[in-house]
Amino acid sequence: MAATKKSNKELVINGIFLENPIFRLALSMCPAVGLTTSIKNGLLLGSAVLFVQICSSCTIAAIKNIIHPRIRIPTYTLTIATWVTVIDLVLAAYVPAAYEEMGIFVKLIVAFAIITMRLETFACKNTISASFWDGLGMGIGFMFGMVSIGFVRELLGAGTILGYDILGFKPLLFFVLPAAGFFCVGIMMALFNYIEGVYNRLKERKQ
Amino acid sequence: MKEIIRITIGLTLSCFLAAMIMGAVFVVTDKTKKQNEYNKTQATMLGLLGYGKENPATEELKFYPVYRYIVEEDGETYLGYMVPVKASDYEAYEFLILDLEGRLVQRFTLDISLEKAIDDSDRQKILKETLKPETAFAYQDQTIVACLRDKRVAYLLPGEFTGFKTFIEVMLALDPRFDIIGLEIVEHEEDPGLGAEIEQDYFKNQFKDKSFERLKNLTVVKEPLPDVFRRYLEDPDTLSAKELEDIRNQYLDKDIYSLTGATISSRAVTNGVKNMVKRFAYRIKILDEVIAGHQIPAVI
Repeated sequence: MAATKKSNKELVINGIFLENPIFRLALSMCPAVGLTTSIKNGLLLGSAVLFVQICSSCTIAAIKNIIHPRIRIPTYTLTIATWVTVIDLVLAAYVPAAYEEMGIFVKLIVAFAIITMRLETFACKNTISASFWDGLGMGIGFMFGMVSIGFVRELLGAGTILGYDILGFKPLLFFVLPAAGFFCVGIMMALFNYIEGVYNRLKERKQ
Repeated sequence: MKEIIRITIGLTLSCFLAAMIMGAVFVVTDKTKKQNEYNKTQATMLGLLGYGKENPATEELKFYPVYRYIVEEDGETYLGYMVPVKASDYEAYEFLILDLEGRLVQRFTLDISLEKAIDDSDRQKILKETLKPETAFAYQDQTIVACLRDKRVAYLLPGEFTGFKTFIEVMLALDPRFDIIGLEIVEHEEDPGLGAEIEQDYFKNQFKDKSFERLKNLTVVKEPLPDVFRRYLEDPDTLSAKELEDIRNQYLDKDIYSLTGATISSRAVTNGVKNMVKRFAYRIKILDEVIAGHQIPAVI
């Protein structure tokens, strides 16, 4: 893939819809299945990923000419690990309450496929500003995925939204269990595909 | 060959750069993190004594930490206590070295304030400066003495003991007669759903109000927790004063009801608490005798 010709806006939209990390690329499925039992979890982890993705993308875009091609993957890992450590320390110091709940997950971000994949396919071939917008799009796309899965699972599994009791009962306890994560992701992926199909058909008809 | 060298240098440099960034962030955030941990401990201690957001502690309530060390000198083992004392117009520390029979051997005045002594490395430094260079000392634990208008109201004991898998860290509050005021599980790695239930109110509150005499032979029984007692432990606010009194009378002297499927964790906590209190009661009695016998101007 050569340097991108897309505008900044297109890059962001690309990350959120056309190449949504969870629903279209099916990357980083472990957190999408494991950590989405509530909206809050999804939101917290999503924002941490957003930060790490933007910082890593910009760093790699800035030093892409200095990296020896043979050691690019170790360098990516090193970069991601550095930013993850930074956000880990910052969260531990300034938002201890949130850190207590998600501390263990933040350290896992190092292994998230989506970040390495974006560095390999995009950031190492594009400018810093394009990488920033791509990272922003991908980060928001990931967060959007996490939050929407979290919404469905929290509502159906626990009957609450953001911890507030909405339904007053628990419709399907099954949805808070890990296995239900797969069902949920699958159903949402199908929904995503369906919406895209309808959208494309409408577009064709217009033309 | 040339390529290998270039790769090596490249990787070393990137690692170095990454280390610099992480180190800088660590230096910036470390102080806040320590402050957070300190605040959290303070909140836990106040919570155990029944203070909270709706019921803030009075200014007169003060926490005085006493630090215990093991001191080795000329092949002999001694106990060292850092005791807060009144020095002219401010509060400082004195280091008392007792032999194993509980007699005072040496005492030193330490030029360190209460706030500064909280930091482990600062204490280490001042002790190294004060004691003889060949004396070895190792930090053991601390006890926080809570005083209200110069009168002891409680002891707070941070401590840890082995659980089912790793250590269980707890904070225990005792009143001056060593009866338990409350127990808080600070950190543990027990199995979720089984041993991890030790942090639930219905388990840890069973220790509340157990007297020192009762605690000495406290054991764990494998019986289901009665519903009415569980309600008392979890939300006593829903019960009337008379009901509370009845339940207290009925269950206060009972043993600890084991958690279902986690007998080892339940036993570990019970025995751990028992040992902590017994050892502490023994030590503080000796320390009190020394303080009284040698007219040490201790504030505790």
